[in-house]
This record gives sequence, C-alpha cells and structure tokens, in this order.
Amino acid sequence: MKKKTVNRRGFILKTGVGLGVLLGVGVIACGPLRRTSAQKVDEGPPGYKNEYEAFIWFELQQDGSIILHSPKVEMGQGIFTALAQIAADELEMDFKNIKVVHATTAHGPIDSLSTGGSLTVSSLYQPLRELAATMREMIKMNAATIMGVSANTLTVKNGEVIGTNAKLSFAEIATKSTNWNLKIKESVLKSPKDFTVIGKPLPRIDLVPKVKGETLYGIDSTFPDMLFGSVVRPPVFGAIFKSAEVGNASNMPGVVKVVIEKDFAGVVAKSRVQAEDAKKALKINWGMPKKLVKQADVDALVKVGVGKDVKIQKEGNTDILKGEGTITREYFSPLGVHGHIEPNGAAAHFQGDKVVIKMSTQVASITRDEVSKALKLDKENVDIQSQFLGGGFGRRLQTPHAIEAALMSKAVGKPVHVFFERTEEFQNGVLRPPTHNILKAKLDANGTIEAIEHHTASADVAFNSSILANVFKPLSASLAEGIVGADFGAWRGGMIHYKNIKNYSTTAYHKELPFQTSWWRGLGLLANTFAIESFMDELAHQSKQDPLAFRLKHLADDERGQSIKNVLKAACEKAGWGKSLPEGRGIGLACSIDVNTPVAQVAEVEIKNGQIKVKKVTCAIDPGIIINPDGVKAQSEGAIIMGLSATLFEEVTIKDGKVIPNAFGYYPIAYMRDAPEIEVILLSSGDKPRGVGEPPIGPIGAAIANAVFNLTGKRLNKIPLQMDIS
Amino acid sequence: MKKIYSIAFLVIVSIILISISSFQIQNESSLKKEKSLASFKQMLTVIKHPRCMNCHPSDDSPRQGDDRHVHLFNVQRGNDNEGLAAMRCNACHQKTNNPYSNVPGAPKWHLAPIGMAWQGLTDEQIGESILNEKTNGGKNLEELVHHMTEDTLVLWAWNPGKGRALPPLNQAQFAKAVKDWAENGAVVK
Amino acid sequence: MKIDFTVNGNPQTVDVPENMPLLWVIRDVLDMKGTKFGCGQAACGSCTIHIDGDAVRSCSFAAQYAQNKHITTIEGLSTAEKLHPVQQAWIEEIVPQCGYCQPGFMMSVANLLDKIPNPTDEEIDDYITNICRCGTYYRMRKAIHRAVQLK
Repeated sequence: MKKKTVNRRGFILKTGVGLGVLLGVGVIACGPLRRTSAQKVDEGPPGYKNEYEAFIWFELQQDGSIILHSPKVEMGQGIFTALAQIAADELEMDFKNIKVVHATTAHGPIDSLSTGGSLTVSSLYQPLRELAATMREMIKMNAATIMGVSANTLTVKNGEVIGTNAKLSFAEIATKSTNWNLKIKESVLKSPKDFTVIGKPLPRIDLVPKVKGETLYGIDSTFPDMLFGSVVRPPVFGAIFKSAEVGNASNMPGVVKVVIEKDFAGVVAKSRVQAEDAKKALKINWGMPKKLVKQADVDALVKVGVGKDVKIQKEGNTDILKGEGTITREYFSPLGVHGHIEPNGAAAHFQGDKVVIKMSTQVASITRDEVSKALKLDKENVDIQSQFLGGGFGRRLQTPHAIEAALMSKAVGKPVHVFFERTEEFQNGVLRPPTHNILKAKLDANGTIEAIEHHTASADVAFNSSILANVFKPLSASLAEGIVGADFGAWRGGMIHYKNIKNYSTTAYHKELPFQTSWWRGLGLLANTFAIESFMDELAHQSKQDPLAFRLKHLADDERGQSIKNVLKAACEKAGWGKSLPEGRGIGLACSIDVNTPVAQVAEVEIKNGQIKVKKVTCAIDPGIIINPDGVKAQSEGAIIMGLSATLFEEVTIKDGKVIPNAFGYYPIAYMRDAPEIEVILLSSGDKPRGVGEPPIGPIGAAIANAVFNLTGKRLNKIPLQMDIS
Repeated sequence: MKKIYSIAFLVIVSIILISISSFQIQNESSLKKEKSLASFKQMLTVIKHPRCMNCHPSDDSPRQGDDRHVHLFNVQRGNDNEGLAAMRCNACHQKTNNPYSNVPGAPKWHLAPIGMAWQGLTDEQIGESILNEKTNGGKNLEELVHHMTEDTLVLWAWNPGKGRALPPLNQAQFAKAVKDWAENGAVVK
Repeated sequence: MKIDFTVNGNPQTVDVPENMPLLWVIRDVLDMKGTKFGCGQAACGSCTIHIDGDAVRSCSFAAQYAQNKHITTIEGLSTAEKLHPVQQAWIEEIVPQCGYCQPGFMMSVANLLDKIPNPTDEEIDDYITNICRCGTYYRMRKAIHRAVQLK
C-alpha cells in the first residue's frame, strides 16, 4: 500500500513558445506566417500549450527517500536518471535516495502528449526544478514547525534540515509531520553554477536491476489468475475484419473463450501457445481491398512533385536555378520498421466499470482516452499503468492493443494479456515512410552557393496520428493539418541551415499511403540530412573545396549558425580532419541541427568484399545544459548505431499488401560486428537543456555516404547504401 | 584333311560361341551400369535440392531456405561441424522441427564434413565424393545406403516444416533409387 | 506432459504441452521474467539461457527436451553475494539503455567466456549475434573485454 504523505500538488508548466500558440496565429496565416511557424517547430521543442497543466508528484517516504512519479516513460533514453538528478539538486538530497516510477493515468492528469520528440528533459527541466524547490520548502516548513523555529533560520543540505542548534533528517520530518497542505509563496532556484548533481556522469538509476534481469517491461506484466489472449490481425494491408467462424477453436486444449468483437476476433486461453494454436483454427471473413498494394504504388506516391506541396522555408529568390549551370541531384530512402525488441502487448484487468491496463506505451493518456471511448468507460475509470519500455523509437505511439486486451478481459471476466507476434509487428505495426529528395543549387565563380532549393517528399508521420489530434484539441485533425500545412514530422531535418546562402527554399510534398506510416526515431531527420549533407559534400567537391571549410563558410554567424560551426570544428579536430588515412580508408563529414541541438559527425569507412564497413565515428553534440554527460554519450552512440543500421542495411518493400521481409535476420538490423568505434565530444552552450535522443541520428547517413565517396569516388544516393560490385 | 577342317570348324564354332556368350555377358554388365547411372541421376535431383545441398556447402557457412541463401547470423561450421564454440547449431536447432519458432530440427543437427562438400561440384564429382571413403567419413557402400535411406538428418528432408519445399522424389522413391543405384554397381559416370 | 529439470539449481516439475517453448515455461509457468521474448524465431537472442552449459535460444526449445536438464537463466547467473563478472562489467561500462535485450546478451557473453576465456574482437563478432536496437554494441564490446579482466 502506497501511503501518500504529501498532498497532491499541481504545477502549471510554463515552457517556451508552444505549438498551440504559434499555430493559433497560423489559422489566419498566409504563406510567410505558416513558414514562420514551421521554422519555430523546427528550431525549438514544440513544448506544451500554455494552458497545459501537468501534475507531478513527489512522495516523501518514512525512510527519508523520495519517490518521483514521472509523467514521461523510460524507454532507454535515460530520463529517469536525468529527472532524478534535476530534482536532487533542488531538493538538496542524495541522488541515490530518489526513486523514479512511472506515474499512472489514475494518479493524476499526466502528460497529455507523448514521450518522444527528444522533449522530456528540455520540457521538464524548469518545471521540475520549480516543483522540487517547492517540495524542499515544504519540508523546511514542517521542520520549522517540529523544531519550533522560523523557517527562515533553516537551511537544507544532504537530506537534512539544519538549524542553528539542531538538525532533522528528511526521515524524521516525514515521520513527525502531520500537515502537508502548505502554501509555498516563493521557492528560490539554485544558480546553475551551484549545481552539484546536474552535470555529473552518474550511473543510470535503472542500471543494476536491468543488469540483474529484474526490471519489468510492459510484456512482463501480470495479474493474479491472468489468461492469455491472441488476436487475429489482418493478413494484408487494407483487409478489414467482417466476421469469424469459430470452427474447432473453442474445443481446442486450454481455450477459455473465442472472443468476437466488432472489429476483431481472438482467442483467450490458459497459455500463450494454446491461444496461438486456437487462433489459427479461426476462419476469418476479411473484407479485402479491391487492389493489393505494391511497392510500385508506394514509389509512385512518394515522389517530389506528387501530392500536396507546402513551402516551409523561403529566403530571397531561387529563380536562377531555372537557368543553366544548375546542379541537380536526387536521393531516396526506403520504408523501414522500428525493430524495438520488446513486442507490443497489454495486460488488462476489467472489473465492474473499471479497467487497469499495464503496458509499454509512449502515450499513456491518449491510450486511456481511446480505451475509455471504446469501452464507454469514464476516463477516471481507466488506469493505464506504464511499465519500462523495451525500446520505443516511435512504435509505441499507437496502442490499439490496449483496447483489445480490455475487451478480452471484459469478455472472460479475468485479466488477459494480449501481445504481438514478431511477424505481426512487421505486418500490423506502423512503418517509417520512404522519402524522395531533390536538391538544386548553383555555385558562383568563387564556389559560393548562390541559391539552393530542397524538395522533400514523404508520407504521413505526424499526420493521421493521435498525438497531432491531441495537440490541436479542440480543432479537428484535418483543420489542424491545414494549419500546419506540411507534415512537420516528415520534413524534420529538411530545412536548409546554411543561412549565409542568400537564396534558399524548402518545399515539402506529402501524400498519404494506403497503409499506416508514422514516427520513427528522428522522423525525417536521418533521410533529409542524408540528402542535404550528401549534396553539400558534392558541391564542395565539384568546386574543389574542403567539405569542412565549404560548410563553415555557408553557415551564418548568428547563435544558431555558430553552434553548428562549433560542433563541426570540434568533431573534425578530434577526428583529425585532413590527416592522412591508412590505405583503403575513406573519411566523410556531415552535420545537422534538430530541436536546437547541433550535431556533427565524422565517419571513417573501409570496403571489404563489396560491403561498407564503418570503422570509426567521431561525434560532437551541443545539447545545452547537460544533465548527465554519460547519458548524452550513450544516446549519441545509440543513435549513431541505429542510424548506421538504417543507412547500410534496413529496408522493407510491399508485395501484394504484405510487408517483406517480416522477420529479424531477413530484416537486417546492425549486429555487434557492424558497430564502429565511437567517440563523442560534448559541448554545452546556452542556459537550458535541449533535446538529445534524436538529434545525433541526423548526420550519420550522410557522413557514411560522404566517406564512401572519399574512398571510392562513387556517390551513393540511395539508402540503404549498396556498393555496385558488378 | 577332313579332320583338319572339322577341327577348324569346331574352333570357329567355339570362337563364335565364346564371342556370343562374351557379348551376352558384356551386354548384361552395360545394362546394369546404365540402370545404376539412371538411378544416380534420379538421386541427384534430391541431392542437389536445397534440403540436402544447404548442409553440404563447400565453405564454412551453412545455407538456408529454398533460395539457398547464406545462413543468417553469420553461423559457421566450427571444428566439429556443429557450430563455433559458443554459437552451436543446438542453440536453435533441436531434435524436431519447432512448430512455434519454425526453426527446423532433427537429431544431431550439423553440417556435412567439408570432405562431403557438394556445392559447386559437377554431377560426376558429387558421385565420386560420395563414394570416396576418404571423404565420405569412411562409409562403405552399405553404410552409404544406410546413411541416405535411414539417417534421421537425411530423412528430415521429407519433413522439413512449414514453408520449405520438399525434394522432387518422395522418400520411398529416393530410397529405391539409392538401393537400385548401389545394387547395380554404384555408377556415377 | 510432466517435465523435470533444474532452474538455477532448483528442481522444478511442470506439466505443460510438450512443444511449448521453454521460454514460456520459464516466463509464464515459473514466473521468471528475466528471460525475454523478442521474436519467437530464434533470431534476436533475447531469450538466451544456458542448458547443460550451452547457450540456447529458449523460444526455439520445446519443453519436452528440457527433461532432466540443468538450466541457468539471468536470475541464476550471479549469486546472492557476487555478481557474475559479465554483469559486473556491464555495470562498470553502463551498457544498458532500454535494457530489454541485455539479459540475453549477458547469457550469450557468459557462455562465450566459458568456452573462450579471452576472446578476440573477431571472435566476439562471430559469436555474439544477438540484436540490440538501442545500439549499445560499442559499450558491450568494452564490457566483454573488461569482464575478461574481472574473471
């Protein structure tokens, strides 16, 4: 039994400019304003709407430790550690005595958007500090009452409240306090120079349980007396559930019930294998699409010039590109999957008019809303209890399986666990959309870019997502799309950041595909940066300029331009840019800026038996105030390897409505043997933390492709990069 | 003189008779050879099928699937043909096909020794390799027939699990072809 | 089918369908959640355990074959007093991110070090073919070399 010793307190988050406000302007916006809003989305964390309220709780325990209920989920990105560090500094207590748990939706109105977009630390840094400082003042006030002195005479240090003659530990205060309904008028925040916990490379707080195998993830969730459910999922894109014939399924061993609902059928059994076996015996009548989707359909839809086009960036005039001497190149990236190792699932316990669901989700409150709507329950009666995530990467922003689990539990009157088989993750999950980019530029006699145009085409990322709909409550999704214009997820990373160029523009083309595509780590960042930075490299070589110098001269001297220059210089210096390389090795450079975090990467490659082998990556990143340097390094290393994997290996195609391949191995995710040596250099500018989880996935694709060019003279313009060994 | 003629006649007749019988003998042996070779050709349709060929590679990588692609996960032969020290065949392959993982299985799942590599060989070379006791693991003809008709790993080819093509002959047809081949002289060319 | 075996030294008897993957016996019947389900196709290595000293992908191991076997899972890799060197190295190098694949990796690596006490980088590449989507391979490699020193 959890005993609350602190009253629940709500705090209003006041973060920077929110998407809602910006786009409120956009309602009446014409082109330029829409571009301004697009620019803001690109430059800064969308953050929260001003009216957004987040309730975050601390619980002071009798032993003096504090439980922090995190509104955001831990999916490996290290936020539990970062949040504990932020809190510990203001609470003036030992970091080790803070325990972070996932807040549940019944615990309070938690995060109404999602965990994603590299926003957790940047958006919670300020509010969490304020919250922790207030908590500290409350502890101090109670200590003053116990001691019978004025709170002004007390200081808090190392988990103790210290007076002139006496001191009390947090544990003593927790035991002796009776009233926590306190009003704190003012709580002064520490100056960053006094931080003692923020900035330390502390080992992550979930480290030891994860190494011992003790951490429980969504799929590990249980309830007493739980049964196992298996749902029949559409065999091809566009197939719609009509009806099901039970056949022999209900008589098969272990089967408790065949559940047939409006839009799905499944089996509840005593074990997973029995549920799976019986599921195969069901005969489903599918409403089949008139035509099965083919890869050629996808290729035809995602193409520059096809679909709705929106100019998201424009400066000067790029008309000269219509004339002679224009260099034009195109780039491609394929459909991909998230490849999270923990398959999706949900354990639901439906009782009376309430349901409790334990699962891995990046969108707990959206999941709650969807379940409440589907089962016609009050929102308060749906408790989504987030568990640790076995990878997120955007895959857990869609959670219809919560509804399936809840309906099956309701049907059998017992808790039921529903999960995805791996083949279903491929076929019935969501895909990263493909991209097609065309870049055009003209260089003057001095090798300076006179004008550059970027055309980027992709499919749904933010559009058709429940998150977008939530951001724009109470607007309809289609109106919201009208306001945003282009899908900001798809064109992420697609802006030209070389502001010393006088004339530049970016146009985004969007077309919906006949199947669901969605968020994937960094969204369009990897593919768009691959295009822009491969092109920049080519322009440098065409005009016989050093790729580093060429980039530096096109970056502006403003804060943003300077921050990119700094990471470029830092990465190149560390990597020994310009050094002589061993025989058979090539070197390449690329940079990007995402959620205000600039990143530069230098890749060194070799080619063995026609295979590109990345030997080393040097990365410089400037995420502003760094909460945990080791965490930033880990995220950078991880993003580099995930991006490398996408750049060299990963691709799915669509054949007759099916995702091919649909298994690990055949979908080649990077293995140990593919991982290069990685060096990460940390820069820290500004007075706020910025995003970390996604920005470092930006440059890696282009850095590798540019290194291959450096080695072979061949310009590869298609991800996954493949050497033509014929 | 008459006697001489009659002797000569006898000799000629004998020669003719001997020739005829020799011809008959020769005719019978060539018939057997043809039969054996025909059986061998039948056998080859199975031997060269992915179900057999995948585990008789000429390098250290097993093959997989009907398209005979290199085994995923960088699986390798190892010293005893049962995988590398910490990457054994039995990490995934058990005594029977697994109905849930769809990983195939049979007792003592392993690669054929490198001496029995067939990949890249001509039909004749495959035959010679099968017959050569130095390369076939010291099997005489009888043991060879036993291997091809009764070894559980070979028999697996006719029960390969979901999604794997069957050899063009069924097991009884193959067994008959092997026995006929052996009985008629185990001819490979 | 009734099956007897030991898990981490403790005798166990279960009554399950003969072909139920051992993974589900461990997770759902014995309620030990450290062994993870990733693909169910022996392709990712998250479910790696030791059976009589060999690393085995338990999603592809039918329960019937566990009869009389000695099984070790991540929960039994360390003792109450001392972490296994591989786990200790994993902590010192701060390897895990989401952590989901890590038990399988540590079981594979522990088995590798049992058989090849001081593996080269090439041997590590050959033997460790599990998948980590967070991309912790670079740290894992450092941790494997560190575990060799800790042993």
